[in-house]
Amino acid sequence: MTRWPRIPVAKFLLSSLLAFVFGECFSLHAFTLARPDPETRSDRVLLGSTKRLRSLDPIGSGDIASAMITGLIYEGLLRYGYLDRPYRLEPQLAEAMPEVDATGTRMTFRLRPGIYFADDRCFPSGSGREVTAADFRYSILRLADPRSSTTGFWVIRGRLRGLEAFRKRVEEVGDRAYEEPVEGIQALDDYTLEFLLTEPYPQFLWVLTMHYLHVVPREAVEFYGGDFQRYPVGTGPYRLVEWKRNYRIELERNPKWAQTGRREVYPEEGQSDDVRAGLLAEAGASLPFADRIIRYVVQDESTAWLMFLAGGLDLTLPTTDQFEGVSVMGGLSSALEARGVVLDKVPALQTIYIGFGMDDPVVGGNKKLRQALSSALDRSKLIELRAGQEIEAVNPIPPGIPGNTTRPNPYGYDLDRARRLLAEAGYPEGISERTGSRLELTLDFASQGQPEMRQRADLMVGMMRSIGVRLTPRFQLEPTFFERIDRRESQMFYILWSADYPDGENFLQLFFGPNSSPGPNHTNYASDAFDRLFEQARRMPDGAERTELYERLAGMVQEDCPWILVTHPLIYQLRHGWLENYKPHDFPYGNEVYYKVEPARRERMRKAFRKQPLGLRPSTLSVNGGE
Amino acid sequence: MGFGAYAVRRLLYTIPVTLGVMVLLFLLFEAIGGSPARLVLGKSATAESIAEWDAHNGYDLPLLISWEGLLRERSLVGLFDAQLPRYLWRLSRWDFGTSYVTNQPVRRMIFEGIIPSLSLTVPIFIAGFLASIGIALMCALHRKGHLDRIVVFLSVALMSIPYLGYILVGQFWLGYAWGWFPIWGYEGISHLVLPWLIGVVSGLGGNVRFYRTVMLDQVRADFIRTAFAKGCTTRRVLWVHLLRNAMIPILTQVVITIPFLYTGSLLLESFFGIPGLGYIGVHALHTGDRPVLSALVFVGSLLFVLFNVLTDLAYVWMDRRIRLG
Repeated sequence: MTRWPRIPVAKFLLSSLLAFVFGECFSLHAFTLARPDPETRSDRVLLGSTKRLRSLDPIGSGDIASAMITGLIYEGLLRYGYLDRPYRLEPQLAEAMPEVDATGTRMTFRLRPGIYFADDRCFPSGSGREVTAADFRYSILRLADPRSSTTGFWVIRGRLRGLEAFRKRVEEVGDRAYEEPVEGIQALDDYTLEFLLTEPYPQFLWVLTMHYLHVVPREAVEFYGGDFQRYPVGTGPYRLVEWKRNYRIELERNPKWAQTGRREVYPEEGQSDDVRAGLLAEAGASLPFADRIIRYVVQDESTAWLMFLAGGLDLTLPTTDQFEGVSVMGGLSSALEARGVVLDKVPALQTIYIGFGMDDPVVGGNKKLRQALSSALDRSKLIELRAGQEIEAVNPIPPGIPGNTTRPNPYGYDLDRARRLLAEAGYPEGISERTGSRLELTLDFASQGQPEMRQRADLMVGMMRSIGVRLTPRFQLEPTFFERIDRRESQMFYILWSADYPDGENFLQLFFGPNSSPGPNHTNYASDAFDRLFEQARRMPDGAERTELYERLAGMVQEDCPWILVTHPLIYQLRHGWLENYKPHDFPYGNEVYYKVEPARRERMRKAFRKQPLGLRPSTLSVNGGE
Repeated sequence: MGFGAYAVRRLLYTIPVTLGVMVLLFLLFEAIGGSPARLVLGKSATAESIAEWDAHNGYDLPLLISWEGLLRERSLVGLFDAQLPRYLWRLSRWDFGTSYVTNQPVRRMIFEGIIPSLSLTVPIFIAGFLASIGIALMCALHRKGHLDRIVVFLSVALMSIPYLGYILVGQFWLGYAWGWFPIWGYEGISHLVLPWLIGVVSGLGGNVRFYRTVMLDQVRADFIRTAFAKGCTTRRVLWVHLLRNAMIPILTQVVITIPFLYTGSLLLESFFGIPGLGYIGVHALHTGDRPVLSALVFVGSLLFVLFNVLTDLAYVWMDRRIRLG
């Protein structure tokens, strides 16, 4: 006799289990265990690896891996000139650079006519419609919508007039708030978009290149709802074919470009180096070159390395261990050179630093102590440990951005000065004059103690020991690390800042008082003089006067030492010779549109590999898993 | 007590255990962890945006119960307007929330990851089990002979090699250098053979030693001698008499292993690009993606509880000498 229906708990559990199983099974994006080999087809395919993707929604893709993909599917008003160095902006979906009024707060863009969204079932006829200024308005307001899960609202927060009021209205009336006027962003007609800024903010033009502000069709957002991140609909050169989360993503040419006669061309001008590197051989040719783009989510670096060596990836970033195995004095080993592998070395727009918690009673109020610790850090040893893949930082702003100066760091490595400053700070030989005990400091790392980071920490411990200071490294997971910083509980922390855009303001804002924790000013450095000067500089347009202010601000940071300036990383990238038109870029989102691969050449070179064994052993592989 | 009543009683025990698991998960992942706003909003989050996010997602509510809600609503509903009751209600509906990192429903993530994980672990489990049992039976039959000694030596040797060593050497030599298997991927059976091989070989040493010990305990028993004495063939003695009597410890080992199959194998998944739950779980751990971690632990705990009950029931079914009580 079946009695279970009389037991509500059992019934409830069973029904919820069934709902769980069947509810998901029907929507399951099942993995097929048999699919055609992507390389048996004769079309031009770019093969790359990626870290795990978060989302294909422009406002949800706060990670580099996702932005690399969304940059191919979606487009914005402006983009970086592919070959231009220093970086320069050029119109993408805008017809030209904007008109900016005399106050610097009104920016008017004219949009290119004849730009269409890709065909998708979200449109009534299935055919993508033309992009208008209203689409940009919607997309940018969507970023400000408090209901959106985005890491990107900071790019416009407080910048556009009426945005806070819009957010409040969304809380009150929901989607109807989109229909109400917002002063800061207005579609004057189908092709004219006007921004009203709260104050002059020249960096806004850089911000407009960011994927957060790329244009999306409202129909798609409403049609797919929460699944919009899986079904992207953009105007870009590619569209999504298949996305197997955590495994593989494939894009193909967006046929809408051909249908609507849209033509984009490869840059016709570059630098003299570009001509020598053959980067202008395709000048004026129609884009994109590749028919498909496949990216594999390769979690382990040693696996990515083997895949690259086997010719399964077009390019890779070697880890330090691998780098030591394949390089000779910073150049490429002959074995790899014979295979046609090319090594690109470029400084990244990043700064590695050790931040001092300025609220900490020991290091926060003792400038001479911070200067002493900075003077005790031998950056050259850290660089040696990374096989030369970094350069010494003398300035918070990395090289390649206005404001970076060659003026030496006044508190660079100098042990005598370190000892003298330590004594002046009240810790002669590292012993506190007040308590008679040895100075003990804690340095936080966002790491679980991976070998390379441990080695780095050990070196720093030794350097501090040489001036009598006992330094204790503390390793932790990244979320714990940031929680500690946000709660102002970290005495010292080892961290890296990557540029969001190539402007010194993006680095100097890390010292701006109002940005204190949990904002990006992790040290909670507070200086009225700095804040006043920074406020002045960030409103100024690019030019010599602003650069001078940036240099002064950087000089104040050098002197006050809220950071120990450590290094700027260099990006060492390996690519196979068959990948053409490749130029390293700090903001490479969407740059695959310029890359070219000839399948026949790739196959020829791959065959040649088999005759040229590298003689590598598994010992040259890294065992540093994780991201 | 009859078998049915015993089964019902064992199943009812699972209810308080499950509730306990849910409360513990809340305490571990929500109460101690605090608000994940910083993680969700990224490196440029401000104090204001964090406060807004907290308010929007209920992280500003009281933890356990809401006296304020009780006064406001003037009903018990208001009392439960707190983080713990909301969490329990969600979990009881199998709503694990949305990943802080991928913005994807966690339930979907689990379902997308479970098939790759099982396609990796189930064949390893079955092949490893059969091979280990077979080898252990041979050892039991030839105890203290050359074959037995060689197997014991090889088992210890296999156990001494780190798992990562199998993967690196297998991937490098069998995949890259000799080209026998694909280095990476989840495209077909051919891509799974190398990880299966590595999984089986790496687990063989420990399993063979365990099953060998179990078999040796039985092979010395009087009933085995009796079976041989009455003229049973070796095959019959091994497969019918010995194996059946050794089933209880084997069953314990096997059934307790099954719930862990669903979480896949972290290292194999990471190195071979198998998009399973092991990879998802470790990534969640690294990024502090608490809804994913909490869901994986919850489902794992339920499976563990369930399979424990099944083991208990299987004991009774296998061996009627076991008394119910």
